Amino acid sequence: MSTISIKNLRKTYGPYIAIDDFSIEIPQGCVYGLLGPNGAGKTTTFKCALGLARQSAGIVLYDGAPLVPETLEHIAYVPERSVLYDWMTVAEHIEMQRRAYRKFSVSRANELLLQFGVDARKRVRALSKGMRTATMVALAIARESDVLILDEPTSGLDPINQRHVLNLIINESARGATVLFSSHQIGQVERAAERIAVIDRGRLALEGAVDDLKADRKIVEGIFPSESFTLNGLASDPRITRIDRNGRIVRALTSHDAQDVLARLEALGATGLRIVDLNLEDIFVYAVAPSEATADVVEAAQS
Amino acid sequence: MPVVLTVDPRSGVPIYLQVIEQIKRSVALGVLAAGEQLPTVKQLALDLTINPNTVSKAYRELERDGVIETAPGRGSFVRSNGVSETTKAAATDVARDAIAAAVREAKSIGLSADEIRSLASAAINRWFREDA
Repeated sequence: MSTISIKNLRKTYGPYIAIDDFSIEIPQGCVYGLLGPNGAGKTTTFKCALGLARQSAGIVLYDGAPLVPETLEHIAYVPERSVLYDWMTVAEHIEMQRRAYRKFSVSRANELLLQFGVDARKRVRALSKGMRTATMVALAIARESDVLILDEPTSGLDPINQRHVLNLIINESARGATVLFSSHQIGQVERAAERIAVIDRGRLALEGAVDDLKADRKIVEGIFPSESFTLNGLASDPRITRIDRNGRIVRALTSHDAQDVLARLEALGATGLRIVDLNLEDIFVYAVAPSEATADVVEAAQS
Repeated sequence: MPVVLTVDPRSGVPIYLQVIEQIKRSVALGVLAAGEQLPTVKQLALDLTINPNTVSKAYRELERDGVIETAPGRGSFVRSNGVSETTKAAATDVARDAIAAAVREAKSIGLSADEIRSLASAAINRWFREDA
């Protein structure tokens, strides 16, 4: 069983910076969700963590030790794109995994494939995209590894099988395995993950426990009597990460102490005050909103 | 456990708070009886498809609030003594928050304290009329 520490990871391709000073700590047994827009650097981060890509700087540690070839025995990886061989049957893949990994459980793999409805006698080329994903997940879970790194492990799956994959992840974490996974389906991350990081253009945009982020991050909304009002330095309040203004309505995204921010808006003469809860999708979207646009609305709010 | 909990992960309310609220409500309504065993952390996590640590956190808070007790190796149970006072306290918490939000809303719309008081009296009279 193992922790994962990604420290100051940097990856450049020529002049292009794919990952820039990215650091996260994943405790043992944690289900950790990595979120980010397309091309943000999620897959590159996974590849660096697995030694499949060489980072330009920084280090990835498992239980405090750098990755060595023997570490890979304890890490199961489901890549975003199928790495199964089209011409081989699923059963032949099971045999290949059994030879490659000491702890691989053939009976567990067969049990999981049955649950997913994958016929092991079929050749991979005859499987749908979803069934290929399910096969890769089944082969990874059957490794009974200490660490699972899953890149979009539910892509192409129907809702029943998606739920099944989430329950397998939960089950792995309950037995002590550390799980790092990415998904564009934020609702799934919201269910299964204890902590999340948002990566945006290679940088860490947001990190925290899902429950804490939801408890702390709120929209505080108020309505002013006329369109000419002053926010009196509200935009520079450290608790406010963003302010949107639409006519007489002001919406402030707060990182904590929403009640205090509400009191400040009230003191400025706003009425119709309310605090709006945010789900993870809202929190994600606000985290990756272009900073220039944020600067614009802050300026507009101050003028 | 006969209670079927449901969580809405897309809600802005943290999932562990949803679990706490629903178990308290089940105890308050008598759906969960004193001494009744709760599912294990892992079982509830799999039933609801939520993170096991989220369930642990909810159970720890319920234990601290005196709603459940955990016997090592045996599992978690609804506390046999103190069910009525803890559930009353839980219900009071919910009501206090709702009333505070309503008063804040009324004030921000521009009603005076007296106007809000008379609205509150009218509401109390309406709902308690049959009991009087």
